[in-house]
Parts: sequence; C-alpha cells; structure tokens
Amino acid sequence: MFENLFVGIADGLRSLLGGLPLEINEAIVMLVKLVAILVFILVNALWLVYMERKVAGYMQARIGPNRVGPKGLLQTSADIGKLICKEIIIHKDTDKVVFMLAPVLVFVPTLMVFAVIPFGKNMAAIDMNIGLLYLLAIASLSTVIFWMAGWASNNKYSLLGSMRSVAQMVSYELPMVLAILGVIMITGSLKMSDIIAAQEHTWFIFTQPIAFLIFFIASVSECNRAPFDLIEAESELVNGFNTEYSGMAFAMFYLAEYANMLVCCAMVTILFLGGWLAPFGLDFIPSWLWFFIKMYVVMFVIMQLRWTYPRIRVDQLMGFGWKVLVPLSLANIFVTGIGMYIYRAIGW
Amino acid sequence: MFGKGLVKGMQITWKEFWAPKATIQYPEHQNPIPDRFHGRFVLDLNNCIACGMCANACPNKVISLRKQKVGTKQFLTNYVMNIQYCMFCGLCVESCPKDALHFSKVINMNQYFYNNIPLVLVQREAPAEPVEKEKPAAKPTSQPKADKSAPTAKSEVAASKASDKEGE
Repeated sequence: MFENLFVGIADGLRSLLGGLPLEINEAIVMLVKLVAILVFILVNALWLVYMERKVAGYMQARIGPNRVGPKGLLQTSADIGKLICKEIIIHKDTDKVVFMLAPVLVFVPTLMVFAVIPFGKNMAAIDMNIGLLYLLAIASLSTVIFWMAGWASNNKYSLLGSMRSVAQMVSYELPMVLAILGVIMITGSLKMSDIIAAQEHTWFIFTQPIAFLIFFIASVSECNRAPFDLIEAESELVNGFNTEYSGMAFAMFYLAEYANMLVCCAMVTILFLGGWLAPFGLDFIPSWLWFFIKMYVVMFVIMQLRWTYPRIRVDQLMGFGWKVLVPLSLANIFVTGIGMYIYRAIGW
Repeated sequence: MFGKGLVKGMQITWKEFWAPKATIQYPEHQNPIPDRFHGRFVLDLNNCIACGMCANACPNKVISLRKQKVGTKQFLTNYVMNIQYCMFCGLCVESCPKDALHFSKVINMNQYFYNNIPLVLVQREAPAEPVEKEKPAAKPTSQPKADKSAPTAKSEVAASKASDKEGE
C-alpha cells in the first residue's frame, strides 16, 4: 500500500481533475509535484541543520541542541524565525541588485535539479532522457550565484571566498563528470530510471568503486563541505561569500548549503547505491523509503567527514583535484572501456 | 597503506559518536560540589560574639557589621557583606574565633538588580533591656535571642529569594 503512496496521490489528483483539459490537468499535477519537492527540500534542510548539530555534538561528547521543542527538534525553526526578524543589512558599497538577487536565486538550481531526481519507483517529477546531463549542468550553476554574492558584497573576504568557490567548482566538476562517465558507459543512457534499472543485480559501487570514490570526494567538494570548505573557512575568510549577509539572506545561503548536500547525496544514491532499489530483496519497505535511507546514510558519512578531517590548504585542494582525481578518473574510464570490450568479447 | 590514517580517523569519530556524553544538564543536574567549596556565607548567630574579627580580616572591606551593647554583652544588629567585592578568599572564615562564619555550597548568588547584591546575613533590633543579674532570667533572654535569630536569618533568606523572583 505504501509502495505506491505518492504515485497513488498523483493519480488520484489526476482523476480528480479529470474534467479539465489534459494540458491544464497535467500542468496542475506538475505544479503540485514541484511544490511537494519544494516542501521536501525545505523540511529536509531544516532537519539537516539540526542533524548536523546533533552529529557534531555526539562526536564531541556533547549532546547538541535539546532545549527548543521535544529533543531540540524546533531549534532550527527557532533560528530561522530569529533570522527572519532581523534586518538585512546592505552596506553602501554593495551592488544592491546583485547583492539581493543572490540569496533569492540560490535555491533555484537546487530546486531545478530535484525535478529530475527519482525519489522512488516512477516518482521522478520529470523523467528526462538527458536527466544526468541536465542535473550536472544545472547543479554547477550555483557557482555563479556564489560568485554574485561574493562580488556584490564588495568585501575582500567575500571576494576571496567566492573566487575560491569558482576555482574549486571548476576543478572538481571535471573529475566528477569523468567519474560518472564510467557509469554512463555501462548503462548506455543518461536517463535516471535507466541508470537505476541497470543496478538491479549489482550496485555500481561494486563495479565502479574508483568512480564512486572520485565522485563522492568531488561532490563533497562541490557542496563546499569540510574538508573542502575553503570557500567558507570561518577561521580564515570569516565565512567567505556570505560575510556581508545578515538576516534571512544569510539563512537562505545556510539552508541552500544543506539543500545542495541533499542533491549530492541523492546523486550518489542514484548513481552508485542503486537508487530506490531494495537490497537483499527487502522490498516490503517501499522504494521511496529505501531511497531516503540510502540518502541519509551518505549524508551521515558526509557529516562524519566534516567532524573528522581538518580543512586542507588551497594548493593541496587544487593539487589533489588536478593531479590525483582527474588522472584517476581518466584511468577509470580507460579500464571500464577495456573491461566492457572484454566482457563483450566473452559474450556475457 | 595510503589512506590508513583517514580510515582510522573515521573509526575514532564513529566510536566517539556512541560514547557516553560528558554534558551535564545544568538546572536539572549538577556537578557535585566539593566539601571545601567557597559558596554563600552562613553566619551561626548562636556562636557569634560580634567581635568584628572577620571585618578586620577582610582585605577588601566587604564586611560591615553593627553591634549594640545590651547589658554586658555585644549584640549583633546588622551584618552585611558587599558580596560584589568579595573574592571568597576565606580569611574571614579563618579569622572567626568562635567558628561562627562558614561557607555553604550555595553557588547561585546572582541578582537581577544591583541593590540586591549585598548579602544581608543579620538585620534585627536589639532587645530593649536584658536581665542578666539572675541566672534563670538570663536564659529567657538568650532563648528569645536564639529564637529570634533563626527566624530573622530565615526571613533574610526568604527576602533575598523573593527579591530574586522579583528580579526575574
């Protein structure tokens, strides 16, 4: 029953609006889907901030937030409530339009990306045949927004932070895409549902372990998480591109960081952990729940990474990206190609 | 092997994640206070002879006491500590010849209003005229004195508590 919960709701809505012309009907259903995704992102971002603080606390022999609401669950809501009430300070040297546009736009790429992510069986809002390409193209747009924020702030720390952001994103986008190529070569498709269907017997984490590692490292770097959080680097750059932001504008960046993490975890899940497929034939748990569980396991690992490793230097970051990850991902493509050729020759 | 340290680090944080937490939830739970802790002062009025040694011993001139002669004895009417200047060195406690001044384990002496900060340990009227010629008559005077002292001290505490609440 729960297996088709959300698909059922969509079908129910469609039949409820049966009287309307098909185009309008579909448009309304699509709108509902997108609003559902937006709510999903926001609720998850709120939860993730809380989870991050809890995980951080637990790893430092502390308890973490536990006063606001039951078990401290309302802590993030209270924080956001406080930030909404605060003034958004715009100092006189900022480029005001760009300055205010950046926090407004920061959620847009994330939201656009989520439209193609299949949360469960038949649960992608739009199952595009170039889904992966679309996802990569849109996800890297957030660089522009960080650059906008840093540039418009007219502050050296913000500028340095956003320059680092652009450099980092450009150099880590490359190994990320090259790592995915291995998966795409095996699957032969850019469609999300095809990629998941190809993992029915073995997840790609087992057939493409190097690609998984490269992709994981690059995606941690893409969402500016420690140990690659040079963009924010509290101790060096006073939070980088969002130094000058206050109030809700700051909160938007803060929540967008977690929304980006959500995208990265969803991508790792889809590409390497079999998406919504149930492992060991445990399909009594609905597919969307499996997707969710896998996503949160990856999320936990990313959080654990943050509270384990120290931040690396800029030169180390660039050196690692260009000298280790890029050659490694190229080698992975080469080996995958040879492997596929051999398998085909054997006739598997 | 390359990356061994990374794995080790992850193992450590994973273990720490499940380890018992060191935090003590303060208002509900408290760390045990050691026996010799220097907390709020307590004056035992039965032992106090109003000699003023504590006031003399204080390096910061925190203690101010007022006394009145009743019969042949000194009667303590007022004992105020300007606790904002006190550094809890304990010289007053050490100097007390009758062991009447003590530290307690009470740590929350903070006040909302500045005027409430001084610690009023005694504030009372001297008895009008003691009968000290006869022994049996002396007892009733000392008895009410002790009786009086206990309620006054208590009322002082109550008053300071009330002012605490007011402050909140």
